[in-house]
Amino acid sequence: MVLSHSPLHDVHRGLGAKLVPFGGWEMPLSYPTGTLAEHLSCRRGAAVFDVSHLGTVRVEGAGAFDSLQAVLTNDLTKISPGRAQYTHLLDDDGSVLDDIIVWWVADDRFDVMPNASNTERVRSAVGGTDVTATRAVLAVQGPGARSRLAAAFPEAAAVARFGVQELDLLGSPCVVAGTGYTGEDGVELAVPAEAAAAVWSAVVAAGVSPAGLGARDTLRLEAGLPLHGHELGPGITPLQAGLGWVIGWKKPGFRGRPALEAERDAGPPRRLRGIALDGRRPPREGQAVLVDDEQVGVVTSGNFSPVLERGIALAFLQPALAVGTAVTIDQRGAAAPGAVVPTPFVPATAAA
Amino acid sequence: MGEERPGGAGSGSGIVPAMKIPDDLRYSSDHEWVRLEDGRVRVGITDYAQDALGDVVFVQVPEVGAVVSAGDSISEVESTKSVSDIYSPVAGTVVEVNPELDTAPQRLNEDPYGGGWIFVVEPADPADVEALLDAEGYRALVDG
Repeated sequence: MVLSHSPLHDVHRGLGAKLVPFGGWEMPLSYPTGTLAEHLSCRRGAAVFDVSHLGTVRVEGAGAFDSLQAVLTNDLTKISPGRAQYTHLLDDDGSVLDDIIVWWVADDRFDVMPNASNTERVRSAVGGTDVTATRAVLAVQGPGARSRLAAAFPEAAAVARFGVQELDLLGSPCVVAGTGYTGEDGVELAVPAEAAAAVWSAVVAAGVSPAGLGARDTLRLEAGLPLHGHELGPGITPLQAGLGWVIGWKKPGFRGRPALEAERDAGPPRRLRGIALDGRRPPREGQAVLVDDEQVGVVTSGNFSPVLERGIALAFLQPALAVGTAVTIDQRGAAAPGAVVPTPFVPATAAA
Repeated sequence: MGEERPGGAGSGSGIVPAMKIPDDLRYSSDHEWVRLEDGRVRVGITDYAQDALGDVVFVQVPEVGAVVSAGDSISEVESTKSVSDIYSPVAGTVVEVNPELDTAPQRLNEDPYGGGWIFVVEPADPADVEALLDAEGYRALVDG
């Protein structure tokens, strides 16, 4: 399979990035600074991530609102043009086919942003045009993201949390949204492909450090945010993942609603929870979670938390297991002690 | 060193840093180095291995006193992206482990041939070290 390249591919190569396959794309895993340093630069200052592998499906015209409102789970009447919303596309059985951010750019124009490998599936469900190849997306994140970005692009730095705004950056028409996937404040810049390298350079020159997908993954894990293919996917409903707030129960319908209603009434059979270990060893997907030698769940994502300096995991557990329960995780035959904890594991950093 | 996840080492890089492969060490095909010291062998992972692993966050060292065979998996190294087994390059007895790695596993990245050593084995037969690759042989393996 031929891997897609970001418009910033040559920039990453020039920076000495380690490039890895991800969702059909070849993207930077890390730069020579390394994942831990990149993680901490985002938690303590500001980092920029190339997330061009996310899809952009443009849905336009008089029927755009109605087609999205009828298919996706969240209720678009809760927001208005110039705002962004997190939502799900479900299968008929209530499984999460994809989790999506919708940027309501203008009255009759929506930029729907699926996960990389789900772009075509989402496009066929909601209609519209796949414009992924025309643009790059730069996520500028961290407690210092807005203050540093303001030196280069003051209007972009001022876009409100979950706001969406069309702006010219370096003379190119861009869309800027107050969204991200790190648990920190920040903005994401959708930039025409031909302008991507210049905008990236201006962001970095403003004091924002490049960070790769390795750090993006440890950041989202510390923030307790789900990743499709791990915490969301076939057989997993939003209710099991603790994301009931993405369901617009008050609207007439959406794909998967009958199945989801049945699960709501019966209670989900498992629940996504956070586990913090006492030690440093990273939990890994698929490892068993135990209470008194009985398996009570399974890890969906795990790693070392650079902020807490211990192993953390998201795991599907029996629904009755409450926060505070002592558990162990079977790490290749060794029982690592820990406890069920609230998420996010790490609260967002105060603006610096 | 054996990576549990295929493809974890990364498919390419713009700037390939020159990997350090000291001439005075011996190497295994599993990307471990061995230093013969007064009849004992000190073992760690190579510069190539630490670069492929990325940031190391945990090292499970073997138990002192463990009797091991060549090729036994006796230690595990975990980075932010994968876990790797560390094999004993020779048969013998583990006589020392690096106490610093408990709190500072990043030594494997910072100083793979020095402060990042993992364990010391008293070999059953010191001549076994001669069966390992020399620097030239290991470089051919890495460049291959």
